[in-house]
Amino acid sequence: MSATTTPLLSMRGISKSFGAVEALVGVDLDVHAHEVVALVGDNGAGKSTLAKMVSGVLNPDAGLIEFDGEPTTIPTPAAAHALGVATVFQDLALCDNLDVTSNLFLGRELKRSGGYRDDERMEAMARKVLDDLNSRIPSARTPLSWLSAGQRQAVAIARTLIGEPRLVVLDEPTAALSVAQTAEVLMHIERLRELGLGVILISHNMTDVRAVSDRIVVLRHGRNNGVFDAASSSHEEVLAAITGAPTLRRPRLHALG
Amino acid sequence: MSRRAAPAGSQSSLREANRQLVVETVKRYGGLTQVDLASATGLSQATVSTIVRELLAAGVVDTAFTTRSGRRAQMVTLARRVGLAAGVQVGHRHMRVALGDFSHEILVEQTLPLPVEHRLDTTLDRVALLVVDLLERVGASLEDVVGMGVGVPAPVDASTGMISVHGVMPGWDDVHVGQVLSKRLNVPVYVDNDANLAALAESETGAARAYTDSVFVRASYGVGAGIVIGGQLVRGFAGTAGEIGHVVVRPAGEQCRCGNVGCLDTVVGSAALLREVGPLPGVANVRDVVQRANQGDERCGDVIAHAGSTIGMVVAGLCLGVNPQVVVVGGEMAEAGETLIAPLRAAVQRGALPNSIAPLDVVPSALGTRAEVVGALVMALQSTDVPLSVDETVDVEGL
Repeated sequence: MSATTTPLLSMRGISKSFGAVEALVGVDLDVHAHEVVALVGDNGAGKSTLAKMVSGVLNPDAGLIEFDGEPTTIPTPAAAHALGVATVFQDLALCDNLDVTSNLFLGRELKRSGGYRDDERMEAMARKVLDDLNSRIPSARTPLSWLSAGQRQAVAIARTLIGEPRLVVLDEPTAALSVAQTAEVLMHIERLRELGLGVILISHNMTDVRAVSDRIVVLRHGRNNGVFDAASSSHEEVLAAITGAPTLRRPRLHALG
Repeated sequence: MSRRAAPAGSQSSLREANRQLVVETVKRYGGLTQVDLASATGLSQATVSTIVRELLAAGVVDTAFTTRSGRRAQMVTLARRVGLAAGVQVGHRHMRVALGDFSHEILVEQTLPLPVEHRLDTTLDRVALLVVDLLERVGASLEDVVGMGVGVPAPVDASTGMISVHGVMPGWDDVHVGQVLSKRLNVPVYVDNDANLAALAESETGAARAYTDSVFVRASYGVGAGIVIGGQLVRGFAGTAGEIGHVVVRPAGEQCRCGNVGCLDTVVGSAALLREVGPLPGVANVRDVVQRANQGDERCGDVIAHAGSTIGMVVAGLCLGVNPQVVVVGGEMAEAGETLIAPLRAAVQRGALPNSIAPLDVVPSALGTRAEVVGALVMALQSTDVPLSVDETVDVEGL
C-alpha cells in the first residue's frame, strides 16, 4: 500500500454541477506514482467528469487539487500537460491519414534550428516509446489506417509517453477490443506502472479492472462509494458498491486523508 | 554441419544478417505483410522481397495473399511443420497463450493479466478466444491445431485432468477444464500442473536438456516443483509429486490454504514476501519486489535472498529423495537472477548429499517466463500421433 508517501495527485471534496445535474459531490481521489487506480461506476456516476478535471477539460465548482502535495489548479489541457498529466480519451483522437510518428507528435512537433520539423528525431523517439511499451507496431512510419483497434489504442497510449508524463488517464481503453487486443492494452498498462507512472483507469469491465489495478475507487451518483484494495477485495464487494446493494462486508476505506 | 561463417562486412555476411533480421521480425510479430516487414526491418522492399523468396524456398517461411487497406499484399508467417499446438498457462495473476509447431518453435504468444481469484468461466472463455485470436494473427485456423496443453498452478490428476487437491484454486475444483475447452474448440486438451510442464520444457529444450534426471523449481506466487527422471515426468499417483510449497517449514506458523500449518508457501509465497518487505510505495505484488531488487533496493533484495535460502532447504530434501543431476530455477521470482539463485544454490548444496559421480548443479531457467507454455506445447505435441517428418519415414524405409 502506498499510503505512506505523498500522492502524485490528490483531489479533495470535488464538486461539479451542470444545472440541476449533480455530476460530482464532494469526491476524493488519490493517485500515487507507480500505482494504477481504477475509477468504476455505473453510467453517469461521474467517472469521465472526474477524469476531465484531471486533464483540464472541465473545472470543478468546488474542491482542492494537490499535485505532489502542492495545491494547484488545472484550468486548461495545457496546464494539465505542464503538470505531466496525459490523457487518452475514449475516441482516441488520432488522425487516420497520418503515420504513427505524426500522430504521436501531433500539435507538438519537434523543431530543428531554423524552424524545420525534426523528422529524424521524432521517428527515433517514436520508436523508443513504442519499444518502451513493448508494442507490436512494426514501424513508426505505418499509416494509422493500417492498424487494428488494439494497435491504435497502443499508439494513443504511446502518445502519452511523449513529453515524460507522470500521470496517465485512460478512459475505457479496452472497450470494443478483442481478447488479444485487450491483452495487449492491459500489458501496456502494466508497463506504464512499471515505468513508475501513476495511472487512472476508467473501465466498465471488472475483470480488466481487477487484473491490472492496485486500488479501485467506486463512484455512485457522483459520490465516493468505497475504495477497495484490488488484491484483497472480491468481485462481489466491488459490484455491491457500484450497484448500491447492501454490502456483504463493509468496504475497506483507506488511503483517504 | 559447421559451415564457416562468412568474413564480417562481406556481401554474404550482410545478406546472412539481413535474412536473420527478417526471420526474427516475422517471429516477433507472428505474421506481417511484406510491406510492414520492410518498414519494421528498415530494409528496402526489393531486399525483403528477395529474402522472403529465398526463405520460402528454404521452407523457413510461408506466404499467403491477403488484403491491406484494399490492396493485395503478401502475408509472411513462419513455416509450420505438420500441425500447430496451443500452449496455455493459467497463472494466479496472468495467463499466457502461445502457438507453436513440431519444432517447438513459438510462432506467436500473448500474455493477459488476470484478477486475483479469477473466475473459472471468464478465464476459460478468454483462453478460448485468445487462442482463436492468435490463430488469426498467424493466418491459421482451429483445423490446424492438433492439440492444446494447459498448465494450472495446482496438482492435476493425470488420468482425469482434474485438479486433485481441493482448495488450492478456489472455484476450479470440480470442473473438468480439459473437457470444457475441448468441447468449445474441438481439439484434444491436456491439462497438467504448471511446474510439471516447465520441468518438461526445460528437460526437452532448456537448461536440463543435457541431463536425464532434473528438478524444476518454480518460485512464483507460491512454490512448486516438477520432477523429470529418466526423461519422464514423475507426477505421482494423484499428481501431487513435487508440491514442495506444502512442505512444512514452520510448524508453529500460519495456516496455509491447503489446511495445514506452516507450509513453505506461507513463508515464501507472495503474501509472505509482501509482508516481509513491509509497506513500500508502489510494491503490491511479487513482480514489484523483484523489480525493486533488480534496481538495487536492499530490503527487497534481502527478502528475496532469504526466500531463496528457505526454498533451497526444502529443495535439498527433494534432491535427497530423487537425486537429480540438475536443479533448474524458474518462475517470477527467478527474474531476480542470482539474488534468488545464489542462496538457493548454497542451501541445496549444503543440504543435499554430495556424491562423487555427478555434483548437483543449480541453474536458472533457460526458457524464463515461457517455460510453462513451451512445456504445454511439448506435452500437446507428444500426445499427438502425427508423423514428425515425412523425410524420416522415407529414410527408415530406405535403410
